[in-house]
Amino acid sequence: MTTRRTFLTQAAASLGVVYLGGLTPEILAQAHQHAKSAPLNLDGQLFRFFSKQQAADYEAFAEQIFPTDETPGAKEANVVHFVDFALSEIEPQNKSDFAKALVALNEQAKKTAPAAASFAALTSMQQVDIMKAIEKTGDFGVLKFYTIAGFFCDPADGGNKDKIGWKLINFPDDFYYAPPFGYYDAQAAKEKA
Amino acid sequence: MSADPQQRRYRPSNFVDFVIVGCGASGSVLARELSQNGFSVVALEQGPWLDRSQFTHDEYRNVAQSLLTNNPQKQPMTFRKTPNDKATVQPALMYGRLVGGGTVHFTANFWRFHEIDFIEASKKGTIAGTAFADWPITYADLEPYYTKAEWELGVSGQAGASPFDPPRSKPYPLPPMPVKSSGVLFEQAALKLGYHPFPAPVAVISKPYKGRIACAHCGFCETFGCEMGAKSSPLPNIVPQAIGTGRCEIRPHSYVTAIKTDSQGRATGVAYFDQSGAHQMQRARAVVVAANGAETPRLLLLSNSNRFPDGLANSSGMVGKHLMFNTGAMAGGLFDHPLNEYKSIQATRVMHDFYELDPKLGFYGGGGLDARFQLTPISFAQMGLPSTQPQWGSDYKKALQKYFTHTMCIMGHGTSLPLADNSITLDPTLKDAWGQPAMRVTYKDHPDDVKTSQFFLDRSMELLEAAGAQDKWVIYPAEEQNFAVHLLGTCRMGNDPKSSVINSDHRTHDVPNLFLCDGSSFVTSGRGQPTETIQTLAFRASDRITTLAKKGEI
Repeated sequence: MTTRRTFLTQAAASLGVVYLGGLTPEILAQAHQHAKSAPLNLDGQLFRFFSKQQAADYEAFAEQIFPTDETPGAKEANVVHFVDFALSEIEPQNKSDFAKALVALNEQAKKTAPAAASFAALTSMQQVDIMKAIEKTGDFGVLKFYTIAGFFCDPADGGNKDKIGWKLINFPDDFYYAPPFGYYDAQAAKEKA
Repeated sequence: MSADPQQRRYRPSNFVDFVIVGCGASGSVLARELSQNGFSVVALEQGPWLDRSQFTHDEYRNVAQSLLTNNPQKQPMTFRKTPNDKATVQPALMYGRLVGGGTVHFTANFWRFHEIDFIEASKKGTIAGTAFADWPITYADLEPYYTKAEWELGVSGQAGASPFDPPRSKPYPLPPMPVKSSGVLFEQAALKLGYHPFPAPVAVISKPYKGRIACAHCGFCETFGCEMGAKSSPLPNIVPQAIGTGRCEIRPHSYVTAIKTDSQGRATGVAYFDQSGAHQMQRARAVVVAANGAETPRLLLLSNSNRFPDGLANSSGMVGKHLMFNTGAMAGGLFDHPLNEYKSIQATRVMHDFYELDPKLGFYGGGGLDARFQLTPISFAQMGLPSTQPQWGSDYKKALQKYFTHTMCIMGHGTSLPLADNSITLDPTLKDAWGQPAMRVTYKDHPDDVKTSQFFLDRSMELLEAAGAQDKWVIYPAEEQNFAVHLLGTCRMGNDPKSSVINSDHRTHDVPNLFLCDGSSFVTSGRGQPTETIQTLAFRASDRITTLAKKGEI
């Protein structure tokens, strides 16, 4: 497996002088280390924000936003643990908004399926109907925003496990590139040459 | 947590020549220039002093924790559209809150103003209901300082590439950044439509410069600090040079609450809370406020006294008025092949064909367009897709997969007219974490500004069409704004003390040893990229203030 360091050394060797200049692999490696470091040690067991029921309801919601299909979804990305961390440590001021949004989700669940014990206990089709009924609301927006953040955040924050989100959209986290960057600038460079 | 090297220390009780409030885009330039010119300087910065090794690409944390910007929890503010509306608590403004200021996290577009920006009211006539006016200085006055800013900071671009460019005494110090796919498509479309695209001038170094390493194209300029030091904020060289004089102290975590004056009405220093929450007073022979277009007027309003009941330097009543945001509508386009716009700087091609709109359109305005992409993964998933695409579920995943690497944006950057009602005032009830009155923002775009914004959005859609986009959509619509990052015009410069706050030397009309220099000094808004002009004003103001001080006229 190519380590980041060897990748950078190879990149430095292959790029030559034009845009590289004084950029040494050591400086790059150091910058990468800094850019990617973030203190976090999730035990993955105990929730600090969620109750067990809230975690189950929210994970069911997140799985409808990013379902596990041909590619991994919110569950595999550890979105629920990201949210637990984010609301406990980063944005505790948003705890009540998030909790309120979960209540709204369950209230809609009761309307759609009065016999249901909770949102998580419903069938996938019922869940989709409930979410469609509230998808224009601010409560839905709060839950969706945290789901997106958990799916695409820096993995150091506890979500986007194994870079599942980034891999889905073909976002490599090399943070170090050289032209050509894409198809059209490559074509233009060819035509010029 | 601060980049706190061995630097000269002053005791607050000791008089220094200058205390500078705010060590951002303009304050750090003033600190370097004045200390290099032999003066003792203390620069107070409310935010931290971060080293580039402390910048991360953590998109969620940068935004959620306000790592580089004002913190809505500690510094709440209120917003209303007009003075008749009730203001509600909401984060209406975002600004850089650390040593280096907004230039640490900005996109780094670095456009000079053009000659017309300074004399537009006399060329085109005033506009009823607005305070549209000429500047008391011209482009010719600023040209040497634009050049100085570009060479001191490190700007990449191609002189003469735009037929609309104003005259310049020197080319850019660095060649343009390599063009991205968005730039190539934009250029092809613009040429097809008869326009004049050119390489974007940016405050990012394309080659090693003055001991700094070149950009590594990581793609994380906007919203993020540059861990390479390749973005030309003051952090890589202006700040170390200021410290290097041995006459300048930068004091982070210093939250200034008032400018103090004596019985003669002269400034004697500033009161501030230090990092421990203790109240301090830094004495100085002169005070320079460079706290940005929102905090500078707020500080003057907070500094009221018996002698200055309506706030300091506010005999005109103009402090806080004529707030201008610029407009910025944006469209996205989807292309057949990968563009991979997540790489490198955000914008590589620009056009200024509509710098001045045809008066026959029936409204005032002007601006520029750039090909760009600033949507990092979370923000792209949150707002990047067209509304016609699914917004959750398996098909949403597929759409994100398809669009993220194949999308580019075109953004219009337009004028804002100065209106007296658009303002920064003190909220009558809300307080910040230091117990100080919070700021209240009142803002409603002039109808011409919204029309200008729509004009540029229409051009953006046409350009995307001409570039061969298979799908195109609006990301930021042209509508009245309630959030801004460009904070301009609130302590305007002018010759008449009745209609302006500072003179062309940046000296307040009312207090002889009080100077203001930042976005608040603007008389007109320019075309959407104010930073180079803010820093250029700081280079010029430093010269003016030095001359006055050396003549004993402060």
